[in-house]
Amino acid sequence: MKKKIGAGLYIAVCFLFFYLPIVVTMMYSFNSSKSLTKFESFSLRWYENLFTSSDIMNAVWVSVSIAILATAISTVLGTVTAIGLSKSRRVLKEIIINVNNIPIMNPDIVTAIGLMILFSSLKMDKGYITMLIAHVAFCTPYVITSVYPKARGMDPNLANAAMDLGATPFQALTKVILPMLREGIYAGILLAFTMSFDDFVISYFVTGNGVSNISIIVYNMTKRTNPTINALSTLVILVIVITLILVNVIPMILRKKQGATSLSINENNRILQEEEML
Amino acid sequence: MKYFVKLVRPYLIWSIVIVIIPLLLIVLYSVTTGGNDLINIQFTLDNFKKMAEPIYVAVFLKSFRLGLISVGICLVIGYILAYLITFFSEKVQNLLILFVTIPMWINTLLRTYAWISLLSDNGIINSVLEMLGMEPVAMMYTDFAVILGLISDLLPFMVIPIHTSLCKIDHSLHEAAMDLGANPFQTFWRVTFKLSTPGVLNGIIMTFLLSISTFVIPKLLGGGQYMLIGNLIENLFISVGDWNFGSAISVILAFIILIAITCMKRIDKETGEEE
Amino acid sequence: MIHKQLRKRIWGGFSAALLLTGLLTGCGASSKPTLKVYSWGEYIDTSLLTEFEHEYNCNVIYETFDSNESMYTKIQSGETYDILVPSDYMIERLIKEDRLQPIDWSLLPNADGIDPEVMGKEFDPDNTYSVPFFYGTVGILYDTTIVDEADLQDGWELLRNEKYAGDIYMYDSERDSFMVALKALGYSMNTTDTDEIDEAYEWLIEQREQMAPVVYAGDDVIDNMISGNKALAVVYSGDAAYIMAENEDLRYLEPKEGTNVWEDAMVITDDCTEVELAHAYINFMLDEEHAYANTVEVGYTSPVIEARTRAAENDFAGLNAYLPDATRAQDEVFRYQEQETKEYFSELWTKVKAAN
Repeated sequence: MKKKIGAGLYIAVCFLFFYLPIVVTMMYSFNSSKSLTKFESFSLRWYENLFTSSDIMNAVWVSVSIAILATAISTVLGTVTAIGLSKSRRVLKEIIINVNNIPIMNPDIVTAIGLMILFSSLKMDKGYITMLIAHVAFCTPYVITSVYPKARGMDPNLANAAMDLGATPFQALTKVILPMLREGIYAGILLAFTMSFDDFVISYFVTGNGVSNISIIVYNMTKRTNPTINALSTLVILVIVITLILVNVIPMILRKKQGATSLSINENNRILQEEEML
Repeated sequence: MKYFVKLVRPYLIWSIVIVIIPLLLIVLYSVTTGGNDLINIQFTLDNFKKMAEPIYVAVFLKSFRLGLISVGICLVIGYILAYLITFFSEKVQNLLILFVTIPMWINTLLRTYAWISLLSDNGIINSVLEMLGMEPVAMMYTDFAVILGLISDLLPFMVIPIHTSLCKIDHSLHEAAMDLGANPFQTFWRVTFKLSTPGVLNGIIMTFLLSISTFVIPKLLGGGQYMLIGNLIENLFISVGDWNFGSAISVILAFIILIAITCMKRIDKETGEEE
Repeated sequence: MIHKQLRKRIWGGFSAALLLTGLLTGCGASSKPTLKVYSWGEYIDTSLLTEFEHEYNCNVIYETFDSNESMYTKIQSGETYDILVPSDYMIERLIKEDRLQPIDWSLLPNADGIDPEVMGKEFDPDNTYSVPFFYGTVGILYDTTIVDEADLQDGWELLRNEKYAGDIYMYDSERDSFMVALKALGYSMNTTDTDEIDEAYEWLIEQREQMAPVVYAGDDVIDNMISGNKALAVVYSGDAAYIMAENEDLRYLEPKEGTNVWEDAMVITDDCTEVELAHAYINFMLDEEHAYANTVEVGYTSPVIEARTRAAENDFAGLNAYLPDATRAQDEVFRYQEQETKEYFSELWTKVKAAN
């Protein structure tokens, strides 16, 4: 028991370190003055500022829409590739797996300048599309690494059996293969979305034409004290916490009711762990 | 099943265009002069020679020193945290790990911005010190601020893989070691730590990779003169406009990281084979 | 045959995703004309942009940069804009490289309000290409409660007075940092003599050692000086005025060796197709009320006489930084640098920042 108290204390200190900045941010988003040190009185003026600032709202829209699109595209691309990969010849498999590891292993800044040079050389107009392409580029490898182990472990006879029984390959894919890969695909979706939503470095180098995501706009605003950022932070944190709770709690309830398996906390950890395993 | 083999083709084409060609372009830029004008390029190794100048070598060394310090601190704090979390029941563990991961989902920029308001000369920490009657401490624009910012960003990446590999350890191994006369320290070192090396190595690779190439945290918490490899590259690409030299530095950076990761993987394999 | 079907479906999925992207991005682009403006960060009262959009039924894409050099790099990398607001020497460079188109002054009725003193500077003698937006000097902002009045006699060398070690902000800008060193050494800030430049480089390196830690700050200097975090800061006069209005312990010094008298001006690029709208934008910014809104918002000195007078008498009354002395003989305006000199400076600048 003593051991646990000591452990609890250490964990509490670590969590203080994690959450102090977050709590401070949230607190001062309700401050009526611009000061980040003195709390004067409760006010919602920074939230008003936030919702009336078209720059910030645009950035939120860009971040969210890019994250959703990049996740959708890279999930499809990644899953399809992982399935194909599990059936490919050894040489091709190794080549693709190694190529796939490049964006994961490469420092962000190197990936970023590579894409920047590419888009400049192609004389592409930088903006939403280039940002989306870049996001798909760095999200897909994570989807492949999440789905591929599941695809490899799949019994190849099942799909064959389905097709022997008259299923079209498309039916075999959607009715037989995809359900077996479900866990890996969910993991990939979650990873891709997080990577895309959090990205700064790559977006910063490949964007243009006034298109910025949340990270870029915050980067440009950090030079001056601006509690509007705190208001934005608070909302982002709330959305994330609520989503995580939903993602973790709903499956528990569902499981109790129907015994269905879905994303659980453990699943979450496994996903994050997979990110490291590369 | 051969229908499905063709499914890799779209990605194969995609990755050639979006992964391989950019890398080749960086390499091309690094061995040429003439900037963005691809028409009158000339091959040269000057960009690499320039890097041997003491001032740039110093930037590399500083980045590595800072990276190693941050990774080291993360390893110690993170290992203890991950280890202590395993003391609790599975339900509590899951909850604690969830709390470790939440900050990772919050934008790094937003968290760094929060640190600025805590650390600045007239910031929250200093006002608390003042209330306690102590002298204010200059923390912004120092190594301390940059390392603190890095650790708060990287710690979860260390804790999670370590915790995962600690969880996998069979408890009966501890009991066996104790039964065979090992003291708690020996048990920890020879059994627990050893079996958690894959997690430790993954954590180190991940945090090192992120810390060595960062440029936002040093720039915001360290000031414009705080120059790490990432800042140097950003500076050369964004403000100086010397893409050739910037590419050369990127090539070297990518190369060093490749070597570091290969070494780490080898250690991982060796410890794995010993068992 | 069968797998063809499969492939079709997959490609169909892709095209659907692409189509969706097209829809999402497409909805922003209406038939309204669009004006792309690239200017310094924190350099405008942003509500004016919305006002302009309404008045002229157009879209304004407003992007910001933090140095003339980063602006130039962005343009060179293929990005296009309609209006830029760079500084003197950069305008000269853009003119030399044929990247600008001439201003049609007949479309700018509000230009009558501009102070003639601010017009016709060396970088664009007849104002063929540029319309002044803000002007000022570079100087030292000092905290009167810490800095000894007698030390001010040292001019720029004040920044190497070890009494104030660790208590200074330099400005994170290549040419202005070298300007400080060159002026302190008694040279012209437009020198091309590599010996003089080397000496200035040594000055900056030594300063970093003697006065450690020397922080090269950008716009963050503004909040830091308002909070009184350090005793000395190299700042633009406009930032100084803004800061002094918030912190009354500060004064602005134009060192005796002379300084940089700068001017940021609006120019229309060669890529601009909405030429008329671009002129309307420039004219809009020259309007007395609008110029006043801008100058009060950011603290920089407006070339529009009425706006400037009103701000100087009300918002910035008694602050010497708002009306900088731009007439001293020892002061200079930055000139265009030949490629060779420019590269020489850039490399040394990277080294100054990387020094430790």
